[in-house]
Amino acid sequence: MAIVKKYPAEVVSVINSIEGVYTVEFRSLAKPFRYEPGQFLHLALDAFDPAEQWPESRCFSMQTSPDDDLIRITYAIKGNFTKQMETTLKPGKEITLKMPYGDLFTQQHNKSNSIFIAGGTGITPFLSLFTHSSFALYDKPILYAGFRNQQMNLYAKELSKAKEINAGFKWQMVYEDADGRLNIQDVLDQCGTESTFFISGPPTMIKTFKMFLLQAGVRQNNVLTDDWE
Amino acid sequence: MTDHKALRKEIIEKTKEYYQARFANQVFTPGKSRVNYAGRVFDENELTNAVEASLDFWLTEGRFSEQFAEKIAKYLEVEHVLLTNSGSSANLLAFSALTSEKLGDKRLKPGDEVISVAAGFPATVTPILQYGLIPVFVDVDMETYNIDVEMMRKALTPKTRCIFIAHTLGNPFNIDAVMELANEHDLWVIEDNCDSFGSRYKGKYTGTFGHLSTISFYPAHHITTGEGGAIITNDPVLANLVRAFRDWGRDCYCAGGENNTCGKRFSQSFGQLPFGYDHKYVYSEIGYNLKMTDIQAAIGAAQMDKLDRFGERRKENFKSWYSIFEKYPDTFSLPKATEGADPSWFAFIVTINENAGFTRDEFTHHLNANLIETRNLFAGNMTKQPAFVGKDWRIADNLNNTDIIMNNTFFLGTYPGLKPEMFAYAANMIDEFMTSIK
Repeated sequence: MAIVKKYPAEVVSVINSIEGVYTVEFRSLAKPFRYEPGQFLHLALDAFDPAEQWPESRCFSMQTSPDDDLIRITYAIKGNFTKQMETTLKPGKEITLKMPYGDLFTQQHNKSNSIFIAGGTGITPFLSLFTHSSFALYDKPILYAGFRNQQMNLYAKELSKAKEINAGFKWQMVYEDADGRLNIQDVLDQCGTESTFFISGPPTMIKTFKMFLLQAGVRQNNVLTDDWE
Repeated sequence: MTDHKALRKEIIEKTKEYYQARFANQVFTPGKSRVNYAGRVFDENELTNAVEASLDFWLTEGRFSEQFAEKIAKYLEVEHVLLTNSGSSANLLAFSALTSEKLGDKRLKPGDEVISVAAGFPATVTPILQYGLIPVFVDVDMETYNIDVEMMRKALTPKTRCIFIAHTLGNPFNIDAVMELANEHDLWVIEDNCDSFGSRYKGKYTGTFGHLSTISFYPAHHITTGEGGAIITNDPVLANLVRAFRDWGRDCYCAGGENNTCGKRFSQSFGQLPFGYDHKYVYSEIGYNLKMTDIQAAIGAAQMDKLDRFGERRKENFKSWYSIFEKYPDTFSLPKATEGADPSWFAFIVTINENAGFTRDEFTHHLNANLIETRNLFAGNMTKQPAFVGKDWRIADNLNNTDIIMNNTFFLGTYPGLKPEMFAYAANMIDEFMTSIK
């Protein structure tokens, strides 16, 4: 876990590929962003007054490699805050980001037999690793990602880059409208209990999958989750 | 009801007036005013910042702390600056961080040896003893007053794990030699940069070479916050350890007034605590509370804008002392900058030669009697200090030069508050003494 800092930043681009899902890019207006793959930021929409408390904010995973100049996040509209993001975050808008948070990939973990399980936009912290040079250190990593439909999979470019960094990288996409939901039993059957599992996605999915893996005999420290209360 | 913003503006304007009335235009009267070795130098900006912070009444680390730390980071071109309540605390925290179990086999353990010097300030050495490690004292050379690098090499044993030394009085030690030895033997390096903020070595600021470095903001130092210090590192793991040791040893990194910024406050396992125990009250290190207040940081933020100017004045003042003393080459040994260094001098250090015909104390008593302040090189020979006698340390070969320093060496100030008329007066007093002993 690094020391948290505040970065004045500007919205560079907003892409709305599908209804209700936005990808936003930020550039720092001061020092370069510093973070590790898999970490997340706090985004506040209200102006930050240094003499006052940090305003209401929400957490978003960086989906960019820490080597990139820009930070990219993807969010789906789920409540008032993200609705406000939809109307507020336009190119040129200046905001304050507070980061980095989280220790998903900075904590001790086994880099062989790594299984990445993502639900929806939960794939974003993984993309930060997949597109970073450190991903080359992982032995035969596999991604299992579930989306509501194929349109929701906006990450072909990042996965292609990941393949360039780690030729042994494989992935399996599950589209709910065609294949049903991502099935943790299937994942376990394919990978075995000796793998290291990284899970990111909706809280219920993380909780259910984690409990299933532990009950199936996977060691506690081999199940790493990207979940927030 | 009066508008608080208007009141604030009025208070700030009055503060500026107060500065002019109280502190501006200090006059030096030879023989009546003191020629101090150090002192705080400031203008209305330090005062107004301190008042602004008081009116914020945030008290703990806040906007000025961020501003101050950012200014230091930008100046030194480093990643992490952690503010603390003194330079000595900075040394303690830098050293503490290296004892963390989170560093695995790399951590410093009781019984390990740490290379240091005895001719310096105790705060560089005390953390070593406090954590049960063994300081290995290496002698210094008589030109730079820094560690003798040949003797440093010979001091190395299989137990050596760290080098923790200061850049003496602003003069960088031989950083190339120290880092080469450290890299060869996988040693930690802590640069005690407390007396050298703004000094450079081969074009790069001191305090940016070691794994960790420290700065002091005590009023005698290059900039001041009253009491205060900082720890510098580019290593995020070490930065986080320093923060933990500084903030009670706690695992949680939320700033004051924040909660659950990690989003896992109640859903983690630590030690033997029950699952979900409040992370805000999880302690992963045996720590302290050594934070800086926002009022101190507000003063520091204003002082940072003056650091370069202060550094230039220190260099000019060093030259002024040099021209006064170089008239007596048989009597005084004068300091020399380390090769490749551009020191921002903390002080002007002088050693009375053995055949001078008078003692260090006779000379410094004359100066102090005439209101010209001098200081010894801190602890002299640390091994002879009461607190260190009988403690578990080792001398590498000998401390012959350190003993000479203990007996024959003193320093004068180079702080930016010194004025040409003070040097003229001091020159007269020194000439007067030299004439009297003939």
